[in-house]
Amino acid sequence: MKIGVPLLALALLVYPFALNDPFYQDIGVAVLLAAISASAWNIVGGYAGQVSVGHGMFFGIGAYVPLLVYQHGAWPPVLGVPIAIALSVLLAQAIGYPTFRLRGHYFSMATIAVAELIRIYVGTVDYLGAAIGLQGPAVGRGWWDLTFRGELPYYYIFLGVLAILLYVTFEVQRSRFGSYLRSIRANERAAASLGVPVRQTKLRALMLSAAFTSVAGSLYSIKTGFVDPESGIGLLVSVQMLITAALGGAGTLFGPLVGALILVPLQSATNTWFGGSGSGLTYIIYGGIIVLLARFEPGGLYEFWHRVSMRWRARHAA
Amino acid sequence: MLLEAKGVSKAFGSFYAVRNADLSVAEGEIIGLIGPNGAGKSTFFNCLAGDTSPTSGTVSLDGVDLTGSTSDIHARAGIGRTFQVPATFEDMTVLENVVVGAYLRHPHRNDARKKALEVLEITGLAHLADQRARALGTPGRKRLEIARVLALQPRLMLLDEALAGLTPSEIQRAVELLRRIHGMGITLVIVEHIMEVIMTLAQRVIVFNQGHVIAQGKPEDVVKDEGVIQAYLGRNHGKRRSGA
Amino acid sequence: MLLLQVIIGGLLTGAVYALFSAGLTLIWGMMNFINFAHGEFVMLGMYVALIVVTSLGGGPAVFSFVAAGLLATLGIALYFALIRLVIRGPMMAQILSTFGLALLLRYTAFYFFSANIVSLPNASFGLYNFGGILVPGSQLLSGVVAIVLTIALHLLLTRTFVGSRLLAVAEDRNAAMLMGIRPDRMQALAWGLAAASAGIAGSLMAMSYPWSPSVGETFGLTAFVVVTLGGFGSVPGALYAGLIIGLLQALSAYWLGPIYKDVVVYALFAALLWLRPQGLMGKV
Repeated sequence: MKIGVPLLALALLVYPFALNDPFYQDIGVAVLLAAISASAWNIVGGYAGQVSVGHGMFFGIGAYVPLLVYQHGAWPPVLGVPIAIALSVLLAQAIGYPTFRLRGHYFSMATIAVAELIRIYVGTVDYLGAAIGLQGPAVGRGWWDLTFRGELPYYYIFLGVLAILLYVTFEVQRSRFGSYLRSIRANERAAASLGVPVRQTKLRALMLSAAFTSVAGSLYSIKTGFVDPESGIGLLVSVQMLITAALGGAGTLFGPLVGALILVPLQSATNTWFGGSGSGLTYIIYGGIIVLLARFEPGGLYEFWHRVSMRWRARHAA
Repeated sequence: MLLEAKGVSKAFGSFYAVRNADLSVAEGEIIGLIGPNGAGKSTFFNCLAGDTSPTSGTVSLDGVDLTGSTSDIHARAGIGRTFQVPATFEDMTVLENVVVGAYLRHPHRNDARKKALEVLEITGLAHLADQRARALGTPGRKRLEIARVLALQPRLMLLDEALAGLTPSEIQRAVELLRRIHGMGITLVIVEHIMEVIMTLAQRVIVFNQGHVIAQGKPEDVVKDEGVIQAYLGRNHGKRRSGA
Repeated sequence: MLLLQVIIGGLLTGAVYALFSAGLTLIWGMMNFINFAHGEFVMLGMYVALIVVTSLGGGPAVFSFVAAGLLATLGIALYFALIRLVIRGPMMAQILSTFGLALLLRYTAFYFFSANIVSLPNASFGLYNFGGILVPGSQLLSGVVAIVLTIALHLLLTRTFVGSRLLAVAEDRNAAMLMGIRPDRMQALAWGLAAASAGIAGSLMAMSYPWSPSVGETFGLTAFVVVTLGGFGSVPGALYAGLIIGLLQALSAYWLGPIYKDVVVYALFAALLWLRPQGLMGKV
């Protein structure tokens, strides 16, 4: 692990130059975006064990607000990012406050319901782009519009955000907050009996997670210059975050990144092979993977690796 | 009085698991709480620890009313408890388990870790510090639960069948640990079915049946009480005894 | 007059909601487990009806029976293959298992049936006129059958020997084992019953409303709201709540517009969470 991390960082840094082709660079950007979203989800879904299936709503807020301030105020989209974060955090509180005093399923169901509600609502309001969606600046008025022609600037911005997020997660993991989160995931009742303020801790985790998910959404819409209810708030967005984190290992630091490194190229490949119907097939595959993970290895690849290496070590120690 | 529970009742629908139960515990006491299965002892504990809210009655520690507050507030006030079915954090290590408890009084990571290691020494778990809790057997888990609660630096510990399922030698070690804990100034309320443990440890015994207290007093006296025997063995046995 | 018609229609639809929600609440109350794929079971019931009508030419009696049988088998199979194993594990695995299943079922249906909206051909049972109030025969039939079956389920649970064994396992699994009841069998039976109720409800619903595979998500959420409103574990609660929600939906569509049909369910759910999560009759 000790040499692994700097090695990984180095690999990520030189990747766009090593594979100097727009196609590969595009995949790289997609991997980073998926890793950011999944790592953000991971804070509340993985570490705290509160399974949100509607995180797309935070992603959607992050994606919509920058384009809204551009479309209606002619501001640079990036100024919308802090506003989006604030809104996402507020929404997180509104959802978490009533549901975190109830058992876990209520929270999960609430996230589905609220995300759907928001998606339907946005699709009907013209100010928010309705079903057509919103667009960002086609040509940048200056560097602050962040409309780069190549992939490279985006790649390094995304990489920077991922690094910050992983660092924050790392600090959380080591701290009292992180210890409390894991205890809640392990056994909420026992955690409370040890003085863990369960409801507040879950809420803080959700708020932190929502903030970073919002940033991921903003990165997405600023880069692609477009968002609509489906791409911003749709179920696929939520499912993607969840499965990416779960596959790699929910509740681990690098699990989401590992998940992204596997799933994004995989999805790109299936889209090429199966063409247009790729999207439907994607869901079927995702559904299958989720069920298999739940049934055989809820800890994801991280746990699988841990078990395999334990057994290997046991066999070779004797 | 350290702990005062007055008129505590807990109803599930129309069924009263606990009916008008009173308990007074002075600081430094060791109280044994006994009674047949289903008598409501665990539910009573849950009310005392804040796990559930009593339907009526009050629970206060050192004069501070804790009734209706969540169990983390009870813990912060100084009540620690273990669970009848061990509730250790399975995928966390033994040390990490205890650190969660230690964080209550030691919010900083290094202090909490130090406190946790101290507690592991006291409870004889130091050699297992980096093992995952799920690797321990039931006796280990029960001991770990006690260690976790100890790290809270509680004033009062509620132990729910902490010695169930242990072998005689393990029971002896556990009793020694409990004595050591008591020696540190912690008041103990112990639910147990193992009579020898109650007889040796408890200064005062309270008998629960069908949700409320039916007898209390010194262990030797309570054990001979007619009502207590009937509660355990059923009315027929009592009748047969008196008829013989 | 039209308002009365809307009300009756809403109640009849609500009855079908009650039927499939009763299955969800049974599982929840019994095993403390939420089936996120329950709506998909209803959706499958609808497609079973379609297949039976188009290929075998059978009527409601046939297709509801087939739907019940197929879905019950699916439910029991799922219990043994998946549920029984995840239910003892971490919460995340439990939630993910049926959520993943929902995706799998929903998009497999999309794959085979496409996203086209379909309805039962020639599903006309006449139009009944109750003093000026027009009620389609299909709606009347499905509503009445749904109520009867929901009550039957409740009686099964509370008045029969099998039912008492189911409830015993729900109450205290270990105690039930000591009494010679096999918890696994009872829980599998519960899953079979729940899936069957969803399947029958779906086939009944198919008589009155067009649908596509996406309907599962809406029904799943509706079931959850009904169960939350009615109190988890309570079949009578599911009946009352189902009727209320059917009524609420019909009135919202009538007064506010058809798009509000689903919105009102989501909004009611949000309101319940904030104000009264224990619902009308149950515990949280």
